[in-house]
Amino acid sequence: MKKPWVIVAATGAAALLTLAFVQSQEGEPPPPVQNATTVQPIAFPHNTHAGDFQIDCQYCHFSAERSVDAGIPSVASCMGCHTVIPGRNSPEEVQKLRDFWQRGEPIPWVRIYKVADHVRFPHMRHVAADAGNLECQECHGTVEEIEVIQEVDQPLKMGWCVDCHRENDASVDCTVCHY
Amino acid sequence: MSDGIKRRDFLKVVGAGGAGASMFGCSTQQVEKLLPYVVPDEEITPGVSTWYTSVCGECPAGCGTWVRTREGRVVKVEGNPDHPISEGALCSKGYSAVQGLYNPDRLTSPMVREGDDFRGIGWEEAEALLAERLQGSGGHLFLTGPMGHSMTELVDEFLATVGGARVEYDGLSEAPLREATRIAFGRNVLPTFDFAGSRLVLSFGADFLETWLSPVEYHRSFARMAGVDDHGTKGRFVFLGPRLSLTGQNADEWVPLQAGAEGVVALAMANVIARDGGNAGPYQAFLRAYDPAAAEEASGVPAAEIEALAQRFVSEGPSLAVGPGVAGHHRNATAANLAVLILNTVAGNVGRTVRLDTVDQASAARPFAELRAAMAGMDRVGVAMVHGANPAFSLPEGAGFQEAFGAAGFRVSFASAMDETAALSDLILPDRHPLEAWGDSNPRPGLFALQQPAMQPVPHFDSKQTGDVLLSVSARMGRDLGPATFFDFLRDRWRDIRPLVTADQSFDAFWRESLRKGVVEMPNRRGDAPVALRSPDTPLIFDFPALDGDGEFTLMVYPSPRFGDGKHANRPWLQELPDPVSKMAWHSWVEVNPHAAERLGLRTGDVVAVRSPHGQVEVPVWTYPGIREDTVALAMGGGHTSYGRFADGNGENVMALLSGDVEQPSGALLHLAARVTLEATGERRPMATIEGSSDQHDRPIAPAVSVTALGHGGGGEAAEEGEHGQGGHGELKEIQALGGFAPVATEGKPEDFPLEGSRHGQYDPEENPRWAMAIDLDKCTGCSACVTACQAENNVPWVGEEQVVMGRDMHWVRMERYYETVDASHSGPVDVRFLPMICQHCGNAPCEPVCPVYAAYHTPEGLNAQVYNRCVGTRYCANNCPYKVRVFNWFGFSDVPEPMNWGYNPDVTVRSNGVMEKCSFCVHRIREGQNRARIEGQRPVRDGEVVPACQQSCPAEAIVFGDIRDPHSRVAQLSQNERSYRVLDALINTQPAVTYLKKVTFHEVQSGEH
Repeated sequence: MKKPWVIVAATGAAALLTLAFVQSQEGEPPPPVQNATTVQPIAFPHNTHAGDFQIDCQYCHFSAERSVDAGIPSVASCMGCHTVIPGRNSPEEVQKLRDFWQRGEPIPWVRIYKVADHVRFPHMRHVAADAGNLECQECHGTVEEIEVIQEVDQPLKMGWCVDCHRENDASVDCTVCHY
Repeated sequence: MSDGIKRRDFLKVVGAGGAGASMFGCSTQQVEKLLPYVVPDEEITPGVSTWYTSVCGECPAGCGTWVRTREGRVVKVEGNPDHPISEGALCSKGYSAVQGLYNPDRLTSPMVREGDDFRGIGWEEAEALLAERLQGSGGHLFLTGPMGHSMTELVDEFLATVGGARVEYDGLSEAPLREATRIAFGRNVLPTFDFAGSRLVLSFGADFLETWLSPVEYHRSFARMAGVDDHGTKGRFVFLGPRLSLTGQNADEWVPLQAGAEGVVALAMANVIARDGGNAGPYQAFLRAYDPAAAEEASGVPAAEIEALAQRFVSEGPSLAVGPGVAGHHRNATAANLAVLILNTVAGNVGRTVRLDTVDQASAARPFAELRAAMAGMDRVGVAMVHGANPAFSLPEGAGFQEAFGAAGFRVSFASAMDETAALSDLILPDRHPLEAWGDSNPRPGLFALQQPAMQPVPHFDSKQTGDVLLSVSARMGRDLGPATFFDFLRDRWRDIRPLVTADQSFDAFWRESLRKGVVEMPNRRGDAPVALRSPDTPLIFDFPALDGDGEFTLMVYPSPRFGDGKHANRPWLQELPDPVSKMAWHSWVEVNPHAAERLGLRTGDVVAVRSPHGQVEVPVWTYPGIREDTVALAMGGGHTSYGRFADGNGENVMALLSGDVEQPSGALLHLAARVTLEATGERRPMATIEGSSDQHDRPIAPAVSVTALGHGGGGEAAEEGEHGQGGHGELKEIQALGGFAPVATEGKPEDFPLEGSRHGQYDPEENPRWAMAIDLDKCTGCSACVTACQAENNVPWVGEEQVVMGRDMHWVRMERYYETVDASHSGPVDVRFLPMICQHCGNAPCEPVCPVYAAYHTPEGLNAQVYNRCVGTRYCANNCPYKVRVFNWFGFSDVPEPMNWGYNPDVTVRSNGVMEKCSFCVHRIREGQNRARIEGQRPVRDGEVVPACQQSCPAEAIVFGDIRDPHSRVAQLSQNERSYRVLDALINTQPAVTYLKKVTFHEVQSGEH
């Protein structure tokens, strides 16, 4: 008695899945980040700051160790150095920063890294605790060598996360990230 | 949680344009911007909650709160555990404050009347207009609801300069109790009551679990008395009144006393106690007229019963008698309250369970008569200002407020959202919500708390704090009151409070400490004043009060546990919250005893016209065995006409049935003073109820155990023996991989769960906790604070009346209520069972194997998880859930009007339509606790560290959450209690993670009765 029901259910499920898949194919937006959109309001060179000057990532991304969010530095934080440092290579970009500061405006940085809305990625668990030896570069690439930040080759897809979790014996339970 | 709290010195100005706020936006645009702060706010870490202490502004009880903010936005209000009134809990009204703050119907700017309409104006123009009007002929009036002491002082200073009087009006004022206390003891205060210290409590119609004086505080205190202790003993509660309110439903015995008979019965009891040696002071001789035989004649309660109850009131002490409250404000309400105070005094309770603080407090419980006197002279008033009150709605039409208000020269309202009184005004100056404004509270003599703004004003609404308006307007009039802002004024007032509280702290240190802790107390505030009964200075009548009209039924109009007198009706969470008694949402109903209904040929859902000599309303009948046959009852708060989209048109304003007369000598508005008739209109309407059945139909859902059976192994699951299989769980069976069942041997100990072989999903007991919950039904009162707290915490949508009728309500907690013994025809035991039904997180969950896409599955930590992004909405899981706890989002119920979305909890996914959802055991709070434990040196999560929203909210302390695999955890120990059972587990082997502890009754639980 049970088996026909199972088959019906499985068929129905398969149909639904196919439907969902087709819909998602048709309606899927283009990849979220395109090169054209990564033009930042200020040409901030990560290689100069993190590479040449060896500034620690968490000097600017200040909450990565204690929050789910890594944190975007405040304009005041930039001005902490750039009040006196005019910018060796491109003083005109530093001037843009000072203009934002003068106007009291936040800098509208273009977001590069974003996991889907239904994913919860706690930075502090990866930076500070379980994966204490996990370098930012593992996910974000060799930032200290890159002038304009682009998303690294790996897409921020679930398989990529799960692979790493498996390699490091971390939980692959759904509700670790989805709730 | 205290780790997350930050000190707040004063509200920091967030950088331009609410910077940083859009970091978590759900933009569909491809390019998303990250806006940093220009200057970082030292109190804000993105992604980490910042908590501020404050005071709940929803009712005058003055509960202390912790307000949770994220990136500068308020997302939740919780109780302040350091505050002696709330002790960490809140009621549903308190949780709904967030919906008052973000209510889309708040006013967007000051408005001035133009004909029948209003025109938006700027603050400059508005204040200039008010100043100009106030320059005119004096004799102004400032009509206010209950306010903090600093605001009261400011209003008085303001009125001293512009000329005018302040009148306080509270629709739910307990003025008769205050007047009775004055007559009895010569003290102008409201007494406080110690339920926890009592062993026998009598309520003569005081609804202290819902609306009476300080519901959260008395709730906690009551549950500590009524919950059975480790020795198997518990306090008793007898309710005397015509209708079982939620408070009454929690009683052990019910004397279905006719409304108005409280006085004679209380005096007859006092007579018996005085006769047996109690000291009634100057009332000793007076009491002789009230012997039990006379009381039997007057009230119908047998003399022997009164005599026995009186003797128990002494022998089972310490005892406590309270009441009657607002619903019982009849023509002799002060006398009835005095009779209860005499009873307490004769039994020696005053100074023990009834306390009178040493300091008098002037502004509590003002009577309606003061407003009535002001209304009589309204034609001589230049400017009538209304703040924090809505008398045009909450007073009966017969009181004549609308006409009187119209006679004033100029009418000003300080309402933050349009209401019925503001709609009659000439000028509206929208006030801030308490969550974005400064204030203070003085709920008890010697107890002071600060209300500090937890966020910048919501930018959608151009509001201004009324205190600031008064200061600014008086400065415009050339009568500067000194401080530039209300904040400065308030801080100055607190300079006078410091020496009362501390001798050695500087003011700055005192101020910071007050803000951090949220509350300060005078060291000697709880000192009892020596009190003795005085001879009455006022003639009082203790007999039956007169009722207007000659209808068949006595009319009872009671304050709604959800809306109070109507103030909270614009909150969709409260509209959707099923009434704790009737289980109905959104609309009004009239409670009729089933025998009376049968006599009149009425059924639940029949619309009837309820007619009193003063007015008429048409409402559907709800048959309720917990009300006397000669009484019908209706709740206040419905039927708004100008209070926004969530309030208007829902229910009926039952104040139309009242006269607007006052009680003498207290001056309180009469609520129980009319007789009504019911007449069928021939119409029926669907009822928006969540009650499937009020009868358990012999299913062991909410069983009970009698107190005498405790300690004899009679309480536990073994008690079900012979009925539902052998032993605790009956014969437990595991599901085999290929179908079928096989028996498993277990003694039902927590460490046995989940049972060997039943490891569906990924549950891994080797290294993981097994999250579990224990709910003590002997403490649970059914108040439903957990329902609203869960809704606020988990972004649970509301669906509206029409959808509730179709059974599509989406609460994650359903407060079930079953009648076992409810009989209004004579005195006797009453037994109503409450059971908060949530996802049971079954170890052997029927929902999991039927999900075709594995959206429902078992986690390694034993949670029954629901993965929203997997769910395709087949709803098989809901069909297969025996507990009916899975809810489906049929339409876009999560799409709420701006700015209500600002109140969404950013830690919980906002689910879209087509997705199944249910209780998650607050998995985000589990993760938060685990994250914290890991970054704090890889320590384990401590027992009690993870607290789900329902447990946090529970004023009765009935809920405990934790890891059941840790034998020392509270939840593991409670799950081994002799009263523990798991709902339906013995029948269908679901192995729930939620353990309930049976209610304990004083009467014998019959075999076959659960």
